[in-house]
Amino acid sequence: MDILVSSVVAGVLIGMVLALVALGLTIIFGVMDIVNFAHGEFLMLGMYTGLLTANATGMDPLLGIPVAAVVGYLLGVACYWGFIRFLLRGPMVAQLLGTFGLMLLLRNLALLLFGSEDRGVNAGLLVGKSVDFGMGVIVPATKLAAAALSLVSFVGVWLLMNRTRVGKALTATALNAQAARYMGIPTERMNALAWGIGGATVTIAGALIVNFWSVNPYVGLLFTMIAFTIVALGGFGSVPGALAAGIVVGLLMEIPGIWDSVAYATEWDWMMDVPVTSFKYTFVYLAYFVIMVVRPRGLFGWKH
Amino acid sequence: MGRKGKRTVVTLLAALVALALPAGPGRAAEKVVKIGVIYPLTGGAAAAGRELRAGVELAADIINNVMPGIDMEMAKSAGIPGLGGAKIQLLIRDHEGNPTLGADLAKKLILDDKVDGILGCYHSSVTKTVSAVCEQYGVPMINGSSTSPALTERGFKWFWRTTPHDRWFTKDLFELLKGLTEGKVRGVPAVPKEEIGTIASACEKTEWGSHVSGLIKELADQYGFKVRKSLLYAAKSADLSSEVRSLKASRAGVYLFASYTSDAILMVKTLKAQRAAPKVIWGQDAGFEKPEFRKTLGDDIVGVLTRTVFLPKVADVKKVAGQVNALYKKRTGHDLGGASARAFTGLQAWYHVLNKAGSTDPAAIQKAANEIVIPGSELVVPWAGIDFQNTGSEMGQNVLGSGLIGQYQKNDKGEIVLEIVYPFDLATADMIYPFPGWK
Repeated sequence: MDILVSSVVAGVLIGMVLALVALGLTIIFGVMDIVNFAHGEFLMLGMYTGLLTANATGMDPLLGIPVAAVVGYLLGVACYWGFIRFLLRGPMVAQLLGTFGLMLLLRNLALLLFGSEDRGVNAGLLVGKSVDFGMGVIVPATKLAAAALSLVSFVGVWLLMNRTRVGKALTATALNAQAARYMGIPTERMNALAWGIGGATVTIAGALIVNFWSVNPYVGLLFTMIAFTIVALGGFGSVPGALAAGIVVGLLMEIPGIWDSVAYATEWDWMMDVPVTSFKYTFVYLAYFVIMVVRPRGLFGWKH
Repeated sequence: MGRKGKRTVVTLLAALVALALPAGPGRAAEKVVKIGVIYPLTGGAAAAGRELRAGVELAADIINNVMPGIDMEMAKSAGIPGLGGAKIQLLIRDHEGNPTLGADLAKKLILDDKVDGILGCYHSSVTKTVSAVCEQYGVPMINGSSTSPALTERGFKWFWRTTPHDRWFTKDLFELLKGLTEGKVRGVPAVPKEEIGTIASACEKTEWGSHVSGLIKELADQYGFKVRKSLLYAAKSADLSSEVRSLKASRAGVYLFASYTSDAILMVKTLKAQRAAPKVIWGQDAGFEKPEFRKTLGDDIVGVLTRTVFLPKVADVKKVAGQVNALYKKRTGHDLGGASARAFTGLQAWYHVLNKAGSTDPAAIQKAANEIVIPGSELVVPWAGIDFQNTGSEMGQNVLGSGLIGQYQKNDKGEIVLEIVYPFDLATADMIYPFPGWK
């Protein structure tokens, strides 16, 4: 029973963080219909920013989040003005290949700057600490903090999108860029802002994740795949959809734990012998495939 | 002809005379034997790569120079006497943990650099592809540190392995567990079988880890232990929390791992975060024995066991090990470990084989390798020696090797050190049992 509850709690917590990873992707896609293949690399840079800030200043890695947010925002905006806006003039395939190229560039830059070794945070206020909720449910403090801060970021972005003039302008650009231009909305700047927000949210997620996952220049690919799944499940362009889908994906990743809880509760040897843990990401990709086939719009999709 | 013209002619003539002179003794082209060394210098196992490289470079220095303070045959002369004092030249390449890249590098070393032999490759998966290339081209390869049993079960004629392999090491582990139940372990009264009778293992998914996982199941059956969970995970995983939850769910008394450095560190961190409380934690060398593992985790590894082939404590029973270790420590700042000691021994085997062969002709090297017996007194590792099997099911396997099991403990100075707990007669400290857990 404890393993079942532990797995569900872990799935929800990691799902909230993964939702933040996907949030930037869904905003960028929602505003300008462009799929950013370099999204995972933005996250990887966020992880390195959090890690290096903590190492350089000696402060807690969680305090590196504002630095990561600024780096992500500037990177997103710079990518848009320097690169993406030119891609928008080309066909869809140029956009895909362009962001794919950006992915390779960022990955290899990281390889050059940071080397290929895995690095992680080994010291910090919450690193190595756990919270015991009783019933055998023990949650690492870093994951708890990451989930809470992810939720705060989500609320912040939701308020920005729905309660401010800038957010309304962003939504207008997403719904109909041409009409928005007629209404005097500077859509180019809105696109850049979308990239900035997208970049900031994903680097914040990176700075949160580096507290409990290790980072290397190749780590982005896994997160890109997971983010795609979340966006597809939650619906392209939907902020609440990303949160709900993130939690669903988090739970999918915990299927092995749920399987084990049944295996050990029933003492069925054949269940124990099935190597479910080896396929923990397979369930996520399977869900992505099924959603694409059954409901391409996702659960909360609002774009057509 | 003006003065300037004369000076030019004189200069040209002088240059021509200088070129035509026979080369003096100082300018003789030094004879070298080229050994291609293929190790993981970047990537997840880069930490191990640094150790391997340092070990092999130290061995090359001892071969190429007279080193009076080292009681080894290869330290007594500069170069290889059997080859007229030829020096060893290492051509070190980085396979990044990638079997395909490893095979490409082997081809380049053989075809472009014309190496006389190959040494490598740490990862069993890379050794597998590289040795296949060597077999294809008939180039001798000595492997010092890959431990997948399958490597010497292929009947290869150009492949020799100095290190014992995982079947031997895993057997050592079960002997230790059996010894625990029989009260044979120093400082530990007999442990009831039910405390450690159940096992859960987590091994990385490449050639090496998958094999270890299979061996654990096989030997657990033989020794009467029950494997409650046996899982494989992707090497260089960014997160192992669901794996650790799975281990905890099994309620096993013994956790066994086969992990490379970054995974070993992450695994222990995750075990600590989830407050796992097994009685025994054992790692199959690799990541569990690297300086980074100790440096990163500090006190968190007190009580963790790792199999190894070399510990600085070996110096207490082997003088030559202490001599080489002191030299290694002077260069790198830390003691020899399983990886560096075996890399050193791998090149040492090359020296003895080449010396016996008296030629770099592959057939002569093959003959020498199949016939050679290197006494244990020559080696830094605590083996009876090196004697390659050249018939039967384990072609090319050294049959005189053996392993150690060490446990991380804190010494009087507060440093984390590895104490020998197995073999029982070599134990250097009381074993800490049960695993003390984490604060």
